Amino acid sequence: MSVLEVAPAPPRRAWRSPAARMGALAVLVCAVACADLFAGRGVTGEGVRAVLLGGGGDPMAEHIVLQLRLPRMLVALVAGASLGVAGLVLQSALRNPLAGPEVTGVTPGAVLGAVAATGLGLAGWDSPTAVVVAACLGGFAGAGLLWLLAGREKGDPEQTAVYGVLVSAVLAGLTAVVLLVAPGELGSVVQWLIGSTEGRVWQHWHLLWPWAAVWGAAAWLLSAPLTLLRCGDEQASAAGLDAGRGRAAALVCAVALTAGAVSAVGALGFVGLLVPHLALAVFGADLRITLPGAALLGAVVVCGADAAAQLLSRLLVVALDADRLTLPVGALTTFVGAGLLLIVARRRTDER
Amino acid sequence: MAARTRDVTTHGEDGKKGMADTPDGRGHPAGAPDVVVRAERLSFGYPGREVLRGIDLSIGAGELVALIGLNGCGKSTFLKLAAGLLTPSDGRVLLDGDDAARLPRRAAARRVALLHQSAPAVPALTVRQLVRQGRYATRGPLGMLRDSDDEVTTRALADVGVTGWADRPVDALSGGERQRVRLAMALAQDAPVLFLDEPTTYLDLRHQLEVLQTVVRLRAERRLTVVMVLHDLNHAARFADRIVALREGRIAADGPPGEVVTERLLAEVLGVQGRVGIDAEGGWPVCYPDHPLDPLQLLRNENHIH
Repeated sequence: MSVLEVAPAPPRRAWRSPAARMGALAVLVCAVACADLFAGRGVTGEGVRAVLLGGGGDPMAEHIVLQLRLPRMLVALVAGASLGVAGLVLQSALRNPLAGPEVTGVTPGAVLGAVAATGLGLAGWDSPTAVVVAACLGGFAGAGLLWLLAGREKGDPEQTAVYGVLVSAVLAGLTAVVLLVAPGELGSVVQWLIGSTEGRVWQHWHLLWPWAAVWGAAAWLLSAPLTLLRCGDEQASAAGLDAGRGRAAALVCAVALTAGAVSAVGALGFVGLLVPHLALAVFGADLRITLPGAALLGAVVVCGADAAAQLLSRLLVVALDADRLTLPVGALTTFVGAGLLLIVARRRTDER
Repeated sequence: MAARTRDVTTHGEDGKKGMADTPDGRGHPAGAPDVVVRAERLSFGYPGREVLRGIDLSIGAGELVALIGLNGCGKSTFLKLAAGLLTPSDGRVLLDGDDAARLPRRAAARRVALLHQSAPAVPALTVRQLVRQGRYATRGPLGMLRDSDDEVTTRALADVGVTGWADRPVDALSGGERQRVRLAMALAQDAPVLFLDEPTTYLDLRHQLEVLQTVVRLRAERRLTVVMVLHDLNHAARFADRIVALREGRIAADGPPGEVVTERLLAEVLGVQGRVGIDAEGGWPVCYPDHPLDPLQLLRNENHIH
């Protein structure tokens, strides 16, 4: 075989190794986390620094930083990480680059669960546990509905995507019905629809991180089956994977991660859909590395968007001379995400 | 069902003298103790369409068998059934004595590696990563999480000569290169039996020969048992030491190329009129297909059971 020209591998530059990229990303996570702490209103930069560097400062600043900003930042980080991992798991398991929690009925189902529980008076922002349970049930119901509808066409990414949009629309409609029937709860409930990190406190954090850690670890343990599923069912089962069982386990992880994130910060648009593409581009197809990478990238995206949203809110208040104006982080991710999705879709059609 | 199968077989024998149609084949170590794949009354069908109708076939260790037949005659289905990827509607396939359909997926994949006709593109996957996926059957989901490579992967890459571009993305390869990489993935399963479903489709002549010669060489080196579906009868005659011809879900001929490859086979199994000669240097049969038989002639040759 004359094609056997064994060219020596080009010398790898240090920044190209996955470890270096992961390190750089970790630094970036810290950077956006700090930015998020400094971005809000009410306390000056010096005030935040004073609180963080060994107390001091007035009790007001201390309360804002330690009881409001810190948990909010941590919740944003972990919710972003959950959504990034959930998206990558979904896209791998369904072999569909356009799958994401938002378009497979998972996020809309979780939102419906949270909204319905709130509307029925079973849960509220002050009882986060009930919201997590309700969001999980809703997320599984949404995914289950897609599973039933897709029927035999589950293997076809395009068909599944179409059914996913259908299911999402139906669930969003049901959510609207609940909102109309129980308008009294409207104010607090709208935050779930758009996604917001306003007012997240330590209670949310204590609920979110163990849940995310357990399911994130479970997703990482599935990286070998997920890699095989990306190669297509035929190749996967020829190589020894029970494709149906592997996919079911992966979907359970994805739904649980999404439901946890939704119950904490609501339906953040496009994070779960786009972070996986970014992660695959940066870390390649080895999911043992790319899944943690997607977690870090998701954390950077959501926390960064939260910081940016707070800064933008401050600027808008000045520009519009408004008394109080808050740009929810979900609005920002949806806006930016829609643009990025257009680019991804264009590239996908070019490849064909 | 059994009675009907027997009826079919008898009829087939009447219709084609000189062609092996008996369950045991002819002159092959079918009853020998080292049979690795044995199909017994194997049938498979979808609602409204029978694909395989009572196949009896034994393949001994170390054999290189070519499966030939028209599109839709059940060749690929046979391979999938024999690899345990489909469940037969009747009969069974034994892999080393165990029912293939009942083996756990991973256990079956340790006994048989199957290279499918085609595979979807996987974004960002490199050659080494794809070939490594073949280790799943041996190492399992948790074993795959440990170190990135082992010597079987390295050997599989070397077997097909792709070590040089192990870190290139699979998507960037040409069709011939991709096929060799997929062959390497099947080899990485390190199974004693190798099923290849049209390994040379979409390849140019040079790459067809490369893939087939690689298979022949590895089979000799590792004592592999190889069953491959081929469309080119000349390739089958040259590289295989046994040809099994399927027609409409039944075995129409089974034997060494010198006996099986005849003008009659061309007409009855492949539906073409042609001549058969002998290669002056290699001594294997060579076909010269001339033109497709018209449907009327085909109909006369058919022995449908209604």
